[in-house]
Amino acid sequence: MLLCDFHIHTTYSDGSVELRRTIDLFGQAGFDVIAITDHAVNGDNPVGKLAHRFKYSITAANFGQYMAHIREEAERALDKYGMLVIPGIEITKNHLTTDNSAHMLIIDIKDFIPACISYEEIFLEAKKQNALTIACHPHYMSAKSDRDTLFLWNNRDKYARYIDAWEIANRDDVFNVISLKKYPYIANSDFHKPRHLYSWKTLLNCTKDTDAVKQCIKHNKGVALTLFRN
Amino acid sequence: MIIFWILAGITLFGIIGYLLQIAAVRSYTAPLHSGESMRFPRSFSPVSILKPLKGLDDGLFDNLESFCNLDYPAYELIFALQNRNDPAYKVVGKIKDKYPLKDITIVVEHCNEGLNPKVNNLIPAYARAKYDLILISDSNVRVEADYLGEISRHMEDPSVGLVSNLIRGMSGRSLGAVMENLHLNSFIVGSVCFLDKYLKMPCVIGKSMLMRKTELEAIGGFRSVKDFLAEDYIIGERIHRLGKRVVLSSHLINNINEYWGIKRFVNRHTRWGKLRWQIGGAKYISELAGNAVFISFMPLVLMPISWLSLLLAATVSALKIAHDYYIGKKLCADMNPLLYLLSPIKDLIIGVAWFVPILSSTVAWRGNRYIIGKDSLLSPYPEKGRAVRGPRIVTAIRTRLAWSKT
Repeated sequence: MLLCDFHIHTTYSDGSVELRRTIDLFGQAGFDVIAITDHAVNGDNPVGKLAHRFKYSITAANFGQYMAHIREEAERALDKYGMLVIPGIEITKNHLTTDNSAHMLIIDIKDFIPACISYEEIFLEAKKQNALTIACHPHYMSAKSDRDTLFLWNNRDKYARYIDAWEIANRDDVFNVISLKKYPYIANSDFHKPRHLYSWKTLLNCTKDTDAVKQCIKHNKGVALTLFRN
Repeated sequence: MIIFWILAGITLFGIIGYLLQIAAVRSYTAPLHSGESMRFPRSFSPVSILKPLKGLDDGLFDNLESFCNLDYPAYELIFALQNRNDPAYKVVGKIKDKYPLKDITIVVEHCNEGLNPKVNNLIPAYARAKYDLILISDSNVRVEADYLGEISRHMEDPSVGLVSNLIRGMSGRSLGAVMENLHLNSFIVGSVCFLDKYLKMPCVIGKSMLMRKTELEAIGGFRSVKDFLAEDYIIGERIHRLGKRVVLSSHLINNINEYWGIKRFVNRHTRWGKLRWQIGGAKYISELAGNAVFISFMPLVLMPISWLSLLLAATVSALKIAHDYYIGKKLCADMNPLLYLLSPIKDLIIGVAWFVPILSSTVAWRGNRYIIGKDSLLSPYPEKGRAVRGPRIVTAIRTRLAWSKT
């Protein structure tokens, strides 16, 4: 089984560890597959504007540099640790109310997707790029209600068909509503700090290449969850 | 004012200790700079390297990989774990895959013969060791290619029974890890060199111990130390009693501490303090007296604040920063010079933590809780709730005072 984490932030957005050290942290811990998913924040409201102002967001301007850096590090990670690194972003639609906020991972992204376009456009663009779309922390999180992002879950009847998988577990939280609905799922750390390494993770029973990993998540067969603790 | 001058006198004692530590460290690090450490043995006896593993240490992959790149003709690596669910199992699997030509064995065996979890790991690993020379090496150390060649040359002398190494804290990226590395690179290294050079006390650091099977078996093997927390000290002491020399190699090994929290730093040194209190008894008091920074701050707490007491604390802090910086340079510890400014704060924390072993004999280590007794002998922690804690502390103090008298 491949030990995987598909939700990792670096100093390209609001993570505290730079990309190279993040790769080393996961490589040193024996991970097989990770995805780097820094925030791409919507800049159409004051919250998003602040994120752009303080460079806590991937933008069209720095996306090329971000991708080149990930590719370079991915090569090193494969050579040194035998670890597959997949580029991604976390589309971050932050609004003042949690009901209107939504975050989603775009895994194996090729071209930049802005967060300010509509949900339908984002999903279609992701499909066009053959990227995976994952709804992250879609439900109420423990003691972090100010960070809840409920829009996709509240509108699941409309959007579930576009979403390849849902985060059933994020860091220390588990959202059992996802399994009750029988949606495809994965578990991630939402890594921002070194201590977040120890959190919920996904185990995949597939070969270690990007297409096989995406297929495994999409079909949700051979997927298991593990609470990674030291 | 008398209190001030008494404390100033004790502070002076601590400063003399710092100077002696510098002299001792200089004598051990001189071969590093002269190139003497590059001498290799004439014969290369094969070595079994035993690596007890539990959990993910900082930089575990690189730590283990450094043992796959040793410049030594014949050695085997035995990684020992208690179960496959240990996250380190995945890492050793990757190491084995990456180095298919290396003689690597992964031993996964649940052994609970003793209370010391490290020894429980070593017992099954030792059973599979092929060679007469045994090297016990912790999972949080990283070594250079010439490490094994350098330390094994000491074993050519039949009077040598055990070789241990100086350690150097490296790679700190969080506050706790920086404090840990500062402490390792000042107090621990300084004390080990001081005790070995001036008091001729066998100082064994369990992170690297090279010995022969014959001597290990003569002292009863790993099973004889299975219930001791300081199994390294006991092994060194017993081999010394066999009439063999315990050698401290000047070859530095890197102890990687990257992302520690302050709590972990305090926990570790409280545990090590308890260990030294149980082993050293009254000698443990000299550690507090030797902490000149802590003593120099005492007048600020015990007396009304004056310019004289502020000057004492500031001067001693500056001296300690210079001391730690100098030793750090001697050890080639790769640390930002500005971080040495944290040294006095670290010493104040250590000074407060010094009192804990006198009040408590409970240790938490690798997820287990024990009561620690004389010579660091462990006994299971009685889970009886808070009510028994008070009397137990009183009993612990009484017991230690009784030992100190004997």
